Amino acid sequence: MASDHLSAETFSFKDVNPAVYVLAAVLLAYPLFASNFFIFQIAAYSLILGTIALSLMMLAGYGGMVSLAQLSAAGLAGYLMAILGQNSSDVMGLGWPWWLAVIVSILSAALFSTLVGAIAVRTEGIYTIMITLAIAVAFFYFTRQNYVLFNGFSGYAGILPPTLFGINLRDPVPFYYLSLFVASGFFGAVLYSSRSAFGLSLQAIRDNPRRMRALGYNTSMHRIAAFFLSGIIAGTAGVLLVWFNARISPGSIGVDVVIDILVIAVIGGMRHPIGPFLGAVAFVLLENFAIDLIDRERFNTVIGTAFLLVVLFSPDGILGIWQGLLRRLKLARPSKHSRSRQSDNASSDATSTDSAPT
Amino acid sequence: MQQSSTPATPGIDALSRLQSAGRYALELEAVSRHFGALVALADINITLEAGERRAVLGSNGAGKTTLFNAITGDFLPTTGSVRLFGEDVTDLPSHERIRRGLRRTYQISLLFDGLSVIDNIYLACRGQRRGRYSLRRTRRDDSSMHSAETLIAAVFLEDVRNSLVAELSYGQQRQLEIALALAGAPRLILFDEPAAGLSPVERSGLVEILQALPKHIAYIIIEHDMDVALRVVQSVTMMHNGRIFKEGTPEEIENDPEVQELYLGQGHGTD
Amino acid sequence: MRRFFEHHTVWAIAILLASVIFLWMVFAVWPEWLVNAIGRKKTFVGTFLNGVTLGGLYFLVASGFTLVFGLMRNVNLAHGSMYLLGGYIGYEVAEASGSWFLALVVAFVAVALIGILLQVLVFRRMEGDDLRQTLVTIGISIVAADLMLAFWSGNTYQFQPPDWLYGTIQLPIVSLIKSDGSAVFIKYPLYRFTVLGVAVAVGIALWLLLNRTRIGMMIRAGVNDRDMLAASGVNVQLVFALVFAIGAGLAGFAGVIGGSALSISPGEDIRYLLASLVVVIVGGLGSISGAAIGALIIGLAEQFGLAYFPTYGVVLTFLIMVVVLAVRPQGIMGGR
Repeated sequence: MASDHLSAETFSFKDVNPAVYVLAAVLLAYPLFASNFFIFQIAAYSLILGTIALSLMMLAGYGGMVSLAQLSAAGLAGYLMAILGQNSSDVMGLGWPWWLAVIVSILSAALFSTLVGAIAVRTEGIYTIMITLAIAVAFFYFTRQNYVLFNGFSGYAGILPPTLFGINLRDPVPFYYLSLFVASGFFGAVLYSSRSAFGLSLQAIRDNPRRMRALGYNTSMHRIAAFFLSGIIAGTAGVLLVWFNARISPGSIGVDVVIDILVIAVIGGMRHPIGPFLGAVAFVLLENFAIDLIDRERFNTVIGTAFLLVVLFSPDGILGIWQGLLRRLKLARPSKHSRSRQSDNASSDATSTDSAPT
Repeated sequence: MQQSSTPATPGIDALSRLQSAGRYALELEAVSRHFGALVALADINITLEAGERRAVLGSNGAGKTTLFNAITGDFLPTTGSVRLFGEDVTDLPSHERIRRGLRRTYQISLLFDGLSVIDNIYLACRGQRRGRYSLRRTRRDDSSMHSAETLIAAVFLEDVRNSLVAELSYGQQRQLEIALALAGAPRLILFDEPAAGLSPVERSGLVEILQALPKHIAYIIIEHDMDVALRVVQSVTMMHNGRIFKEGTPEEIENDPEVQELYLGQGHGTD
Repeated sequence: MRRFFEHHTVWAIAILLASVIFLWMVFAVWPEWLVNAIGRKKTFVGTFLNGVTLGGLYFLVASGFTLVFGLMRNVNLAHGSMYLLGGYIGYEVAEASGSWFLALVVAFVAVALIGILLQVLVFRRMEGDDLRQTLVTIGISIVAADLMLAFWSGNTYQFQPPDWLYGTIQLPIVSLIKSDGSAVFIKYPLYRFTVLGVAVAVGIALWLLLNRTRIGMMIRAGVNDRDMLAASGVNVQLVFALVFAIGAGLAGFAGVIGGSALSISPGEDIRYLLASLVVVIVGGLGSISGAAIGALIIGLAEQFGLAYFPTYGVVLTFLIMVVVLAVRPQGIMGGR
């Protein structure tokens, strides 16, 4: 669907699909009609998980590199917030001002991700998954073993966001808006730059790295740069996540959670940045309400089965199912809408995918 | 890097570049390439003058494509040196060689299936310019986009400008392949069997495109179709089992009894 | 050997020197200054033996992983689950029948059958799509881990191998000389040596299978060129299913061996999956000899890390992986 080509056109608000405005309005007004539980535990949490999964989607969907070390980057940022800022565990907690701790944490996560990328791009394809999984697991074991920096098994607690202008950022509504701001900002940035020189290059490297080299591109540097950018996204989400939980421990970055991020991205769909957020909402709803369907203890069986079904039957996830439905609708009444639909697609990325499957 | 300061010229007519190019576009000195015990290239010496057009002929497995890979840097030669436009590039990675004006096409289409035709060409034009890491969307008045629009017209693909590469016909994909090689400011192009799989009409179109290339662009063409190959070159190198077996003008090669016996007249269709 | 010496003289001298020093450290009685510097000799020799036997266990797990990848390009991230499942099944069989050997056999066969089922029902349908296959194995490992937790709970299980495998043997290595002049010899559990012996035996068996049998010839041909294998009229699916069976069966087998040396509990699947990943990344994907070398290196690194710098042990393993990837991305024995 890259026929909805945009690189020559300049951006204009008139071109945006009306559905985007409706969605934006709903998201902004959401706290007016939702309970605190739904604002904080469901919505804010979904936005944070979706942002971490977005950093994976960007690498996997556009770059063809499935990195399982995204949560580790986010986790590193979270740990650094505890180490540099304040915590209630009587270990570390250097007491830096919150804004400095945030900046350093995010940059460190980006640096970590860059290093992961530098290692991973030494090889190609399926190796990336193996190497990043090995890194993620090694990082998990390391935080569990190391007491000097990471306070070992128990990790850190009491990591709280600041109070600004009398507003406690951890109150559900402010925290929701903070998460929404971060998530939509990165969503827009990824969507916008997917059609920049860098974004297009990344997709071209996914399609055919050898040809990109033959065109004069340093494909390794492009891939590493993509890891850097995704590290910024993951790191920022990691800061939000540690504020959300108020604590972090090796369990927060364990393999099961690492895999959860992959599950979210795959279930949502990796062809468009909206996918990770769809996946996150589905995941969080399932996590919270699976208890009503079956034994809560068996949540992993449910989510694992859902994941398997998606991989086996709908490789593009919820997004793929949604587009399949749209296509069928279009087929049902072809003449009337097909034309306008196409121009619609060309101008609003929100309902169309930017890239073909890997 | 010096090319990054190039003004917004359409890719094909970087004529000014010619003066600084020096005498030789390419000099291969004693280049060999081994794959384990297999000798794919043995002691290859080729010099190509600036603007010279040459065909490399030989049966399958003669080492022609390996030769291209050694020139582009896809494989490093086991021994020997490669000089491009007077500069030793033996140890330079391929993207550095591209920046010095080298291009190639591939036997099988190596295009970006998930992107549109214009994006393919745009990336090819952008490859040698600044701003490859830019996160801003490209505007229509961008110089690379401008070059891309010129090139898409030169290879007659305007009609499918926004189509995905995966949706193109085979012939169109071959045209796009050539457009990618023409992007930037090429001074030496390696064509790897550009006519393979094309219809007779498409073949004569290809000959036209090749003959219409600016005079300062040197190229080497691997081609099994003698009608195409001998019409678009000034010199011919025959290869056999990884070695150079004969060199000469198209006429000399065509009339050489040994060559005739070995290759000509035998149907070498596709690889 | 001689050629190696001629081509890499510096390396050869370094290796020779290192071996001499190592042999001296194993067999000599340590002088005072060395004990002061790096601790007791008993710790050193014990760590070394632990490392080698752990390497043997890792080889058992990783050889199946690498065998499957080499032929089918299938990165089976459920390999750790197969290890754990083999351990549990073996435990149940041993409990019910009282025979540890029967447990070994049943664990191998049962997990091998599951492997065949997976190959025939799932992976065969998505041949050539590496990423999807890998995602499927991740899905399977999530569900499998949860179901095993449901069935066997979070308890830790331990095997009872036959008595004659228990106990320790005294090695002809002097640990220290007591003040009365009598020598103290180093002792080591017999079972650990058994693990090593089994690993060596499995390694030899795999080598014989691959190099001396017709089916092995087919497998090797398939590793080099899958299309050629198909073109030669071999029933490729049969070969694939067989290899998957061997690979999975080895994981189940290793579950009993490893479960007896250490123990089995939830989380072990991840541990052995990580070990397999690192071992094959270091050794080279698809290479049995690479798996052996990688397993030895990682086993030693882990044990020495644990003994000499406990809070940074994992980092050592990880650093080895990074260094190998930087110098030789295809792994030590990996081809391109």
